[in-house]
Amino acid sequence: MNVTRRDFGTLALSVGAILPRMARGQSVAAPNRSYIHGVQFGLQPFCYHDLAMTRENRPTLIKRLVQNGMGMVELHATWVEPRFNVPGVNATVAREKLREWRVTASPDFYRSIKKEFDEAGIAIFTYYVNMNDTFTDAEIDATFAGARILGAKGCIGSQGLRVSQRLAAFPGKHGMFLGLHNHDNLSDPDALNTEASFDKGLVFSPDVKATLDVRHFTAANGDCLGFIERHHERMSSVHLGDRRKNNGRSAPFGEGDAPIIQVLRLIRDNGWPIVVLLEFEHGTLRTQVDEVQLMFDYCKRALA
Amino acid sequence: MRRRYRAVLLWLCGVILAAGSVLAQSTPRAGYDIDYLGPPLADPVMQYSKETYVLFGCAYCHGLDLTPRGEAADLRSSVLVGGDRNANVIGPLLRAGIPQTAKLSPMPQFSDLSDQQIGAIARWIHYARQRARHKELSESSGASGDPAAGRVYFAKACASCHATDRDLAAIGSKHDQAALRAQILEPRSLAGQPSYRLDRLRDARISDGRDEHRILLENYSPQNVANLVAFLLSVR
Repeated sequence: MNVTRRDFGTLALSVGAILPRMARGQSVAAPNRSYIHGVQFGLQPFCYHDLAMTRENRPTLIKRLVQNGMGMVELHATWVEPRFNVPGVNATVAREKLREWRVTASPDFYRSIKKEFDEAGIAIFTYYVNMNDTFTDAEIDATFAGARILGAKGCIGSQGLRVSQRLAAFPGKHGMFLGLHNHDNLSDPDALNTEASFDKGLVFSPDVKATLDVRHFTAANGDCLGFIERHHERMSSVHLGDRRKNNGRSAPFGEGDAPIIQVLRLIRDNGWPIVVLLEFEHGTLRTQVDEVQLMFDYCKRALA
Repeated sequence: MRRRYRAVLLWLCGVILAAGSVLAQSTPRAGYDIDYLGPPLADPVMQYSKETYVLFGCAYCHGLDLTPRGEAADLRSSVLVGGDRNANVIGPLLRAGIPQTAKLSPMPQFSDLSDQQIGAIARWIHYARQRARHKELSESSGASGDPAAGRVYFAKACASCHATDRDLAAIGSKHDQAALRAQILEPRSLAGQPSYRLDRLRDARISDGRDEHRILLENYSPQNVANLVAFLLSVR
């Protein structure tokens, strides 16, 4: 194998960034292609607005992730699971079929999907499932088990505090975490939306971690930098995108009120193992692959 | 010989100019995702409206053709959109957002947009809704209509401009069912771009007629259309 000077430089930079983490006893996964200047990036594929999140579209998703230089992903369950909720099928029947599928799915099914991502050099960081009251205990267990086979470190969803409290008992059995993910709905007392709501959720279990959605937290007038400073030890990741304050609209990176550059440098300069998952909802006339690249390049420049 | 040569040259120039003009219209600019956005529309005002709707992120939740994603409202059947006139409902709603909601994510506020931008977003929503409703109503042509109910609907929705003893006299003997249905869904006044010629621009009869037919199209039920067709067919 020929090692160029550029390869050596990248390796040296990566090792330099990892050593402080190792010194603090933090677990460190092998850096992959979207490990940039000490920060592990990944993508929440909601960003590909034009691509329906179905398992049929998974090959396109993988191709696009590689095109965008992404080595890590937060994978929504719909990219993996069969869809029973189709026209002509009663919603209750479809839900029952999905449950049955989840509790009986073969480990080999998940292994084969992991292989697809492995071969493309993409690690599945988290598995996104919106678990709710309709989930049985067996179904929750099976979801975590499947996610673990995919290589995910945790399951995350947009559930509120009440459901999170129930779910908190499950990830530990699988050596995983449950991610709490905020939106900006300040009118719902059960919602994850403010720092106080995260404070309530994080006490449910040491296996509960925060995924701070920077966009929504900004829209809810939260202090992103203060939150990360205070809670970094309990954070798995951030969803990074831009929005305006006061329930404002989404915006391209740098055009809203989210402190994107500061968040990235805070994570890099402190060597915190917080994964940065790009996620945005702003519109564009460009292809979604081009737009992801533009936003990713913005982040790279912030760390250069 | 020289005259013939000149004629051929002129014809060639004409072909080249025509080809250039067609290409200029149908070739999107660089950085335009034609697979997702579709080819640029012939009406530049509507194209601007579509792009504004996309650029401010409306399509992310409500869909480019108003097929919603996730928990977003379906604007094809929204009563609020159906009652909107020139952004008088959509405009204030966009500026304020919907912060109080049982949904996961409240609709954001767009208070920083200009009146032009708000107007463009509303225009695209109505256009896309009209296309969706037209498709739906065209595909539901099997319903049988009740002429009596159609008469009542006509009196309520159409009689302020039309009369069966005036412009629509003996209309049932002039057109068949399919032609009447097509004309009800998309009358000539809805076709093409509105003129900016001052006499037409200021002719309230034309602009109001266009608006009224669009509002009707957005709010017809399949049964309304079937009844109306049955009634008009009976006018002989």
